[in-house]
Amino acid sequence: MTPAISVTGLTRQYHGHLALDQVSLEVEAGSITGLLGRNGAGKTTLLRILAGQEFPSDGRVLIHGAPPAENEAVLRRLVFVREDQVYPDFKVRHALRVASWLYPHWSPELADGLLADFELPPGRAIKKLSRGMRSALGIVIGMAARADVTLFDEPYAGLDAVARQIFYDRLLAEYAEHPRTILLSTHLIDEAAGLLERVIVIDHGRVVLTAGADDLRGVATAVSGSVLAVDEFTAGRVVWDRRRVASQASVVVVGALDEADRAKARSLRLELAPLTLQQLVVHAAAQPADTLERTSA
Amino acid sequence: MRTWRDIARYHLVVPWLPAALPWAALALSFVVNLVIFSLVPTSYHEVLTSHGLVRVANPSNNYTGGLATIYVFLLVIGINSIGRSLPFGLALGVSRRSFYTGTALFGVVLAFIDGTLLTALQAIERATGGWGVRMHFFEVPYILDGPWYLTWLTSFVALALLFVWGMWFGIVYRRWNLFGSVAFIAVQVTVLLVAALIVSWADAWPGVGHFFAGLTAAGLTGVLAALAALLLAGGQATIRRATV
Repeated sequence: MTPAISVTGLTRQYHGHLALDQVSLEVEAGSITGLLGRNGAGKTTLLRILAGQEFPSDGRVLIHGAPPAENEAVLRRLVFVREDQVYPDFKVRHALRVASWLYPHWSPELADGLLADFELPPGRAIKKLSRGMRSALGIVIGMAARADVTLFDEPYAGLDAVARQIFYDRLLAEYAEHPRTILLSTHLIDEAAGLLERVIVIDHGRVVLTAGADDLRGVATAVSGSVLAVDEFTAGRVVWDRRRVASQASVVVVGALDEADRAKARSLRLELAPLTLQQLVVHAAAQPADTLERTSA
Repeated sequence: MRTWRDIARYHLVVPWLPAALPWAALALSFVVNLVIFSLVPTSYHEVLTSHGLVRVANPSNNYTGGLATIYVFLLVIGINSIGRSLPFGLALGVSRRSFYTGTALFGVVLAFIDGTLLTALQAIERATGGWGVRMHFFEVPYILDGPWYLTWLTSFVALALLFVWGMWFGIVYRRWNLFGSVAFIAVQVTVLLVAALIVSWADAWPGVGHFFAGLTAAGLTGVLAALAALLLAGGQATIRRATV
């Protein structure tokens, strides 16, 4: 099957600054993928190129097998909600009306339901909305469009915890009813972790990790205890992060641990704690790309 | 086709700016002129006829520049139709090509309607003897003083020209910001300057004078239409690589 999103050797250069460096990745149709990485890692640039808003310096992007740039057959199946979306001098309902014309599968019921959930007044001028409210508007458009490929760039910047929970719940319910390909960039990794089936981590314009979210649980473990015990336990293993305070050491061990490993850790009186997705991403972003290929394989 | 229509409608979702604001401004200008000319006494001269001396009103010279208001507004609406509208249009899966065609379509429709209204108002002006105060608000010597169909054609083409020019400005600003816009103006001025220099060196000014003197209002409209087509093509070429 053709992947929903296929990127090969994608490079984007701005006046000597390399925003994307030979990025290759695939996103299969009907999945929720998290695009994770630090500020300036290249997430927005990647999404803008996928949506045909920006042009690659080199490399190829295919959406359902066809290049998106100026290709309306592809673009019409795609919606891109970005954190810094610029709107005309519209009220909320104007923006929704225009979106409803342009998306063949637009759901007015869903849009109305989300407006109510987020307590977004349809008659309010968009420029008078708070940051969180603007984000909510983007979410309403992105979800109600029911586009085959839905790209969310930091969709909930400024949204409070309650509204974020509404977003997660409604997105999952929508996704169950109307499956589609969702690519979501976010900083709130642990919060979104339950939502994500796959994650792509990019750093300094390069993909440093792609994996199924389930595969990543338990792929790395924080090990702490006395320096000697830790050294004994980690001998021959891939270790990411090593901290030492007096006679105590704390490291991150890469690779799944089996029962024998755990028994050994117990006998050495070591503490084991699985890394959360967020911690994993923080560590992954700090590693040279080649160390990670072993873990994502 | 559908997308073009949807984009044209997109520009009319909040209709008062493109549809009503230019007319409100024009109405203000009209009322100001009307009041002024109603205060200015009509000048007369006396003519000796078989009935003796008769007072005859001098030909009216009550021309105003007020009509320019609506043309300036079409330029502004053209600029505005790109600025904040293009990014949201592209976010909704519209190609630059469709956005441009749909926006130009909107401009042409707007110019068509406004041109028609201006023609009707000129007819009223003629029928009422210049709104009772011998004012030529909707009539401009040489350009807009012919039969109604020429008034309509010239108004329509000139309004569309201003809109298309504005679109190109909007796209240039989108791509290269303020610096690019200033450079864009500089290039246009330079083109005119170079043309003037070439005409001077070739001692061709009398020829240019004859060309324009010989040009009818219809011919002038043709020149404006050609210019509009040129600007339209320029905008199309500029939007191709615009990013948002």
